[in-house]
Amino acid sequence: MAPAKEQNQKAFRLKRRNWGMAVDEDRCTGCEACVVACHAENNIATVGEEQAARGRAMHWIRIERYYEGTFPDIKVKYQPVLCQQCDNAPCEAVCPTYASYHNAEGLNAQIYNRCIGTRYCANACPYEDRYFNFVNPAWDEPLNLQLNPDVSVRSVGIMEKCTFCIQRIRAAEINAEKEKRQLKDGEFNPACVQSCPTEALVFGDLDDPESRVSRLAKSNRAAKLLPDLGTKPKVTYLRRGSWYDEQNT
Amino acid sequence: MDRRTFLKLSSLGGATAALSACDKSGKLRGQMIRFIPEERLVPGVAIWKTSLCRQCCSGCGLEVRVMEGEAVVTRHGQRGLMQMGLAKKLEGNPEHPVNRGKLCARGHAGLQVTYNPDRIRFPLRRTGPRGSGQYRQVGWDEAVTELSTRLGSISSQGKAGSVAFLTRALRDQRGVLVQRFLAAYGAPPAVRFEFFDDAVLRRANYLSFGRYQLPTFDLARANYVISFGADFLSTWNSVVAQNRGYGAMRQGRPGLRGKFVQVEARMSPTGANADEWVYAKPGSEGLLAVSLAQVMLSERLRPAEAAREAGARIEGWTQGLSDYSPEKVQDQTGVAAARIRRLARELAAHRPAVAIVAGVPLAQTNGLANALAVNALNALLDAVENPGGIFFTPRPPLAYLPSVEESSSAKSLAERILNNPVPIEALLVYEANPVFASPATWHVRETLEKIPFIASFGSFIDETSILADLILPDHSHLESWVDHVPESGSTTAVASVAAPAMLPLHHTRAMPDVLLDVAHRLGPKLDPVESALPWKSYQEMLQSAFEPLRNHAGSVKAQKADDFWSQVQQNGGWWSEQSDPPPKAPATAERSATVVKVAQPELDGDARDYPFNFLPYASQQFGDGSHANLPWMQEMPDVISTAMWSTWVEINPRTAERLSIRQGDLVEVRSQHGTLQAPALLAPGIAPDVVAMPVGQGHEQYGRYASGRGANPIKILCARVEPETGALAWAATRVNIRRVGTRGKLVLFGGALRESPRNYRYR
Repeated sequence: MAPAKEQNQKAFRLKRRNWGMAVDEDRCTGCEACVVACHAENNIATVGEEQAARGRAMHWIRIERYYEGTFPDIKVKYQPVLCQQCDNAPCEAVCPTYASYHNAEGLNAQIYNRCIGTRYCANACPYEDRYFNFVNPAWDEPLNLQLNPDVSVRSVGIMEKCTFCIQRIRAAEINAEKEKRQLKDGEFNPACVQSCPTEALVFGDLDDPESRVSRLAKSNRAAKLLPDLGTKPKVTYLRRGSWYDEQNT
Repeated sequence: MDRRTFLKLSSLGGATAALSACDKSGKLRGQMIRFIPEERLVPGVAIWKTSLCRQCCSGCGLEVRVMEGEAVVTRHGQRGLMQMGLAKKLEGNPEHPVNRGKLCARGHAGLQVTYNPDRIRFPLRRTGPRGSGQYRQVGWDEAVTELSTRLGSISSQGKAGSVAFLTRALRDQRGVLVQRFLAAYGAPPAVRFEFFDDAVLRRANYLSFGRYQLPTFDLARANYVISFGADFLSTWNSVVAQNRGYGAMRQGRPGLRGKFVQVEARMSPTGANADEWVYAKPGSEGLLAVSLAQVMLSERLRPAEAAREAGARIEGWTQGLSDYSPEKVQDQTGVAAARIRRLARELAAHRPAVAIVAGVPLAQTNGLANALAVNALNALLDAVENPGGIFFTPRPPLAYLPSVEESSSAKSLAERILNNPVPIEALLVYEANPVFASPATWHVRETLEKIPFIASFGSFIDETSILADLILPDHSHLESWVDHVPESGSTTAVASVAAPAMLPLHHTRAMPDVLLDVAHRLGPKLDPVESALPWKSYQEMLQSAFEPLRNHAGSVKAQKADDFWSQVQQNGGWWSEQSDPPPKAPATAERSATVVKVAQPELDGDARDYPFNFLPYASQQFGDGSHANLPWMQEMPDVISTAMWSTWVEINPRTAERLSIRQGDLVEVRSQHGTLQAPALLAPGIAPDVVAMPVGQGHEQYGRYASGRGANPIKILCARVEPETGALAWAATRVNIRRVGTRGKLVLFGGALRESPRNYRYR
């Protein structure tokens, strides 16, 4: 009995994925649905006015806004910035306790109970997308009831960051493994991607040439943030398009 | 602490842990009683329930992630612990035609309405003077009895007509129920009040197209979008539906990318997305639209007849609009003649093109003319009920349909409550806060204070409900039966409905059920009530309202009544298969007689004493201010300013330099009707003679997260109106500004980050 069962388990192996994201700046309208969806999914604490004024607000995904020109010839660009899940991540090399490490699927994971709060990783991150808990997060009762049981609540002195909603990745993998099938493209999405009304955010497997995200990563509009640092980010940005008439002239 | 108490405490074992779990009443969590669970869920396993968003009037479908948890709840007036299903996360309902699985920021934050620590947990009876906030807890029976006795005695005095019901636009069966209740009782219809009420656009759509309705935009198939002041990607109309269309318009069609032009005087979050941002003087947008039409007519790019009825509303249309040539309007609008010509040619050459108008252009004394001008432009571009243009959502064949308000909020509030010659004997308030959202010159608070009896169905103490004598708190939208008929956002007819996603946390009751209860108690006294309100509960009413849909081709095919009803709930509603355009209202003499002259707006205040046009705008976080009590919304950085927990005055950097105002300085804004103070925000995207402020902060009373924070720009507005609809011209106030200090409270998220585009270079 036992060997047969073992064999059965061996016969099916879930494909290892290389999760990545594409951010289409041409679709993004700066609506910030992703920002709040992320707060709700990942138990990110609101820090209040006093702490926010000291630069301690935590938003794993944020919309950056860039102005160009002066009134009235003014142009604005929105750029959603989240952890770039670098393949050559500066945050990982500096962590003395291996709290910040590279997991098997290539994600920059953060192990909260290893973290001792040196904040070296936040200093090293060129995208400024690591957030430190300067105060113990608190939820006025009964706001604590909104907390997602799948995501651990961080405490004071801990660094936290975007995980690509690893709890959703794990849940989907466990499900697929149970059903002995491979994950389909777009079967599940991180919270920000799921709520994005314009579909500016696309998530998927970069190693699968057929996935939406890997096709977008090959687009002629594709670019990376701060590529010359050699961090090899897994988030691709798609430049804003120009109007077809402008292209023709 | 002496040694004895220390020992006592530590002997309790885990004393600190227990203390931190203290209830407000000081009771230890462990000492609280445990209620028998009313439902059983597997711990750790999420179930998904359909629901509906009630954060704005769009009516997006929700899927609620419900998981088992332990909550402190109130049952039979007692607090205790209960294992129950708790809503953990809101997502869009993928099947719902309005939002197709997507959800906006304010929709997500709906979760914090349910779990808000400032929610009213049980019925309250006022004990102190009005506005003191002193209340005592009463039972539901006592509260409902008081309300029905009051209403009963007013009606036996023959004064039923002096009872007023104040609410927002209710596009669900709640609206029908309130209407029927008031009719049966003998009171006039409900007064609907919203600060941003779109009455001008509805009126214009009626005059141009025969429909009292907001339009639905088919952006996904448009090649060219020109928007006049409409913040349609952030706050206005059906935002999620419009964002979905916009994304597809940009990158949904290989090789074809639509162009988007925004016309406004203060760059909105929507305008920031434009390929071409056009500055036009506030209120002159109509002139620009007519001038665009003039170019198309004079250059024979479009036939004048294409505009049909919508064109006939504009004076001089049949004569080719010669008064509105680009050269004649360029000084009035601030847009160069050559640019107007180019835009007109582009629009005509790249159809399907669609024009959108909302916001500042309509909140002027010439608002209706501006709206009619843009409507005529749309008709000229053949955008009405054509792919890539505007549509009107058909109405579903429900047994009862909520009416769409034809009057403006300002007009109905003034006529029915503020200046009513018959004094109001009793006021019922549901989901409206006119004390906050009205100019100080209206004296709403003073008028309401004189009303002998006010009852509120509110979930929170706000500026209006604090005046109430009796508070009958409603369930949150996740705890109650919800339904909705969207006015816009879908090209098929939609009737949404959903059962409660979770059990109520507190000792609250759904407003419609309370109203039905009151009606039954008044029953023998008011004969027509029984016939008009035959239902025992709101749920029963919904089921009978949805019954006729079974015989229409739609998303739910079940034949048996019970199957149909359960399937409709499961799907989150019913939507029709094909998109028949809704029938047009017949052309009346009144409609065909209306012809407007498009001209400049009149502003309040002398240009020398008050040199700046003051533009309040719906904020991305708080809308009209009703979401200011949600911490997620307070801490969400505004996308343009990156401000959190703040209000600010947007000033052009050159203007600020001239007035020695630096970022964050405290600035006094003075109109003829009042002053306020707020920190300055130097915004490159605002005209030098305009200052702008977000609406939403400045609550005196709205829970711990919103109270006493920032300033309320509505308070200093003038009382000018658009004459035909009576809608408040909230963009018609002129102000002056001066620096009064260095330390304004302005919290920016972006300040600490690298803001220069040079730091983020592309490969």
